[in-house]
Amino acid sequence: MTITRNDVPGPGTSPVPGRDARDERGQDGKKRAGIGWRVRLRRDRTLIFMTVPALLLVLAFNYLPMFGTVTAFQYYDYIAGFFHSPWAGLDNFRQLFVDPAFWQAFENTLVLSFVQLVLYFPVPIALAIMLNSVLSSKVRSFVQAVVYLPHFFSWVLVITLFQEMLGGAGVFNHFLTTHGMNTWGIMTDPGTFKYLVTAQAVWKEAGWGIIVFLAAIAAIDPTLYEAAAADGAGRWRRMWHITLPGMRGVIVLLLVLRLGSALSVGFEQFIIQRYAVGSNAAEVLDTYSYYYGVVANNFGLGAAAGLFKAVVSLVLILAANKLAHYFGEDGLYRGKS
Amino acid sequence: MATGGRSIPAFPASGVSRRNVLRTTALGAGAAAFGVPLLSACGGSSSANGGVSASGLKSSLPDYVPLTGGVTPDIPSVAGVHGAVTDAGYLSYPTNLVKSVSEVPGSGGSYTGVTPLWGSIPTAGNGYYQAVNKALGANVTMTPANGATYNTAVPTLVAGNKLPDWIQLPTWWNSTFNVGELAASKFADLTPYLSGSNIRKYPNLAAIPTGGWQVGAWEGKLYGIPSFTSGQAFAGVLFYRQDIFESKGINPDDVKTADDLYSLGAELTAPKAGVWAFDVLSLMTTQIFNVPFGMFHAVNGKLQFVCDTEENLASLEYCYKLAKSGYVHPDALAGNTNNAGQRFYSGKELVGSGGTGAWNVMDAQQGQAANPKYKRGAFKLFSNDGSTPTIGLGAATSEVSYLNKSLSKSQIEECLRIANYLAAPFGSYEYTLINYGVEGTDWTTGKGGPTYTSTGQKEANEDTYQFLCSPQNAVSNPGYSDITTAYCAWSAEAVKYAYKPLFADFNISVPTRFATAAAAAELTDVTTQISYGTKTMSDYAAAVKSWKAGGGNALLAWYQTNVYDKYGAGQ
Repeated sequence: MTITRNDVPGPGTSPVPGRDARDERGQDGKKRAGIGWRVRLRRDRTLIFMTVPALLLVLAFNYLPMFGTVTAFQYYDYIAGFFHSPWAGLDNFRQLFVDPAFWQAFENTLVLSFVQLVLYFPVPIALAIMLNSVLSSKVRSFVQAVVYLPHFFSWVLVITLFQEMLGGAGVFNHFLTTHGMNTWGIMTDPGTFKYLVTAQAVWKEAGWGIIVFLAAIAAIDPTLYEAAAADGAGRWRRMWHITLPGMRGVIVLLLVLRLGSALSVGFEQFIIQRYAVGSNAAEVLDTYSYYYGVVANNFGLGAAAGLFKAVVSLVLILAANKLAHYFGEDGLYRGKS
Repeated sequence: MATGGRSIPAFPASGVSRRNVLRTTALGAGAAAFGVPLLSACGGSSSANGGVSASGLKSSLPDYVPLTGGVTPDIPSVAGVHGAVTDAGYLSYPTNLVKSVSEVPGSGGSYTGVTPLWGSIPTAGNGYYQAVNKALGANVTMTPANGATYNTAVPTLVAGNKLPDWIQLPTWWNSTFNVGELAASKFADLTPYLSGSNIRKYPNLAAIPTGGWQVGAWEGKLYGIPSFTSGQAFAGVLFYRQDIFESKGINPDDVKTADDLYSLGAELTAPKAGVWAFDVLSLMTTQIFNVPFGMFHAVNGKLQFVCDTEENLASLEYCYKLAKSGYVHPDALAGNTNNAGQRFYSGKELVGSGGTGAWNVMDAQQGQAANPKYKRGAFKLFSNDGSTPTIGLGAATSEVSYLNKSLSKSQIEECLRIANYLAAPFGSYEYTLINYGVEGTDWTTGKGGPTYTSTGQKEANEDTYQFLCSPQNAVSNPGYSDITTAYCAWSAEAVKYAYKPLFADFNISVPTRFATAAAAAELTDVTTQISYGTKTMSDYAAAVKSWKAGGGNALLAWYQTNVYDKYGAGQ
């Protein structure tokens, strides 16, 4: 069908694309309560129809696989399948919770997540603000391109690069050796591994992370800056009183999302460097699931570890959302109030 | 070298090399966890309580009928002790390619084949595939899959009910894949087609030594078709840069003990020049320290854990000592096995361990690209204290392919005729087609024999059909006969020290409840980490303790009553 202007439903019959959520919510929800769901269904049918493909994708790839969680309660035998594997009750969880390697992985995950939260999270914000202050659009797009680029490198490549620069046989240590100094095993030191991986994450992802923040800054009304400048506010005051408050919603939203995925610190980055520093430092929940679940052909245990992670993540995200409300932000969602 | 495992066809034991590639990387080289002969966890209804291939196997095994005629080897097989036999060596490639199969084997059937591949995957439907399929008279669609992740891909194929018609399962993953149970529930029983004199219908298959068929047998029945069968399947070789040793005037034969090797490390390491003596050597330290091959060994009729033996602990301590010595290349210690080949070629590390399959034409070509003088040499076997060395003899093959149970009788027969074609002996017309492709397109006659063209490099150089079935190994390195000579000499020496590990002749399926203990993932993991210097001996002791309590002890008891007491040592 060819879409012409005439096909766009008129304001009286159907939703206008530009209609804002605020109209819907009204002042206190009364307006919405006034319309029956049938009427709304009729009115919104085009929009609902448009969401069907996405809904199907979510069902097929997010909800359907959740049935696989049953393996956590089975002695899963991949040849026999879900339907013929014997039930294990909570035995996989019992096995999981007495395994010191699991708790080590859990602890590592939390520590890494915390270190990354403190050391990584502010970097893209700072970068975005700095970039925004660059006036020359040429310089800005150049810098932007340069900092985006590492995002497209694979972890193997990033770690190889780090190894070539900082590894025992790398440029840095070779310089030290040839100048009669002791070498510094940055890449193989379990103690500083958390900072190493955070540095790698900053190098690879911080540039990419600024996109959202740049968008948030762009959405700030420029007249505010003009007014503030007219009132004599300097660069720092403008940042503190206009830019940062303008970004607050986005920052809090991303923080909430980040807490929800606090137990997913990555997989490849750790599996590649696992032997360099040992599993005491590099094992995270996802690599634990892989080694002790998939590789060891103990799928039940792996699934149990995954389920445990999912439950903890759910709790975390709910808590973070509450916290966002407490600070007066929308967070991920708001229940009816 | 871990990455040296890409071998060109016609080279012996390329399968073994691949096994070692994986042992050193994915599985680690721990004596405790690998090398349990053909152990498989098993949970199917037919064998939920485990089983041993030996029961009733004698009557199922096919006849062994060596081929007559054919090319005479320049270096004949040498028999060693305990059944170890070297592969025959050929210094030149025959020019008169004799046909070994007179008729077109296929009858137009279409089959899918999945095999592991450690290299770059050739394009689907390429000229080489087309030529081989034409000769086979059937459409065998090869889908090679990444060998590095094959262990996680196969369970997915099975769980999704997407098993191909013909699949190769490397035996070192038998326990991961539960091959015993897979065979009983998903694979075709080939006993009626191949047992006893039935195999004589397929003369090239009948010429594969019995050991190969034993590896594919489960609970008294024949299921698997072997590839690269060899009588000298050794875990690995300690390699060195012969050209550099010669230029430095170092005689490798002076290394007679573990301490000698350690002091060699001091002599060779020069960090300022970017040179370190060693790669991670854990693959060979188990041999040097005479660690019994497998998970158990028998002492006065009682099974005991290999992980507790003095030999194993000494080997691990030595690995740890090496890791902390400063003689191991830092990149190797950082777990970078991918570049091990490059480090060796560029002379940044001078001693490494690897599978026998690393020693071939491709290796020589790649090494000489980095340094024209490049030459790989192998240390003679030695033991830690200078006493007579020992080396465990692995199963006759580690590559076994299986046919899908859903195939009909006539389809199975067609596949076996195809296998017979693929098993055509060294130097035959068929062998040359399968290993080198089409003359003129994929290879031309160079010095000493077939040399790949650039098309052949891409399409015919990797093992694909060979992993469905291939003849007994032959050593041949066209254009590099000195490699063949050196390799055969090393082998002839090594077979003198071979011993057959416990349960070497058995395929054992353990009951489901022992599957995790049998996989011994945590032990393998700690063992690997010790060789990288990131875990200590006390970590190992703790891991052994928890493994034993978590099923290891029960597993030992099961082996004692259900295998050792019933069937003996299987050696």
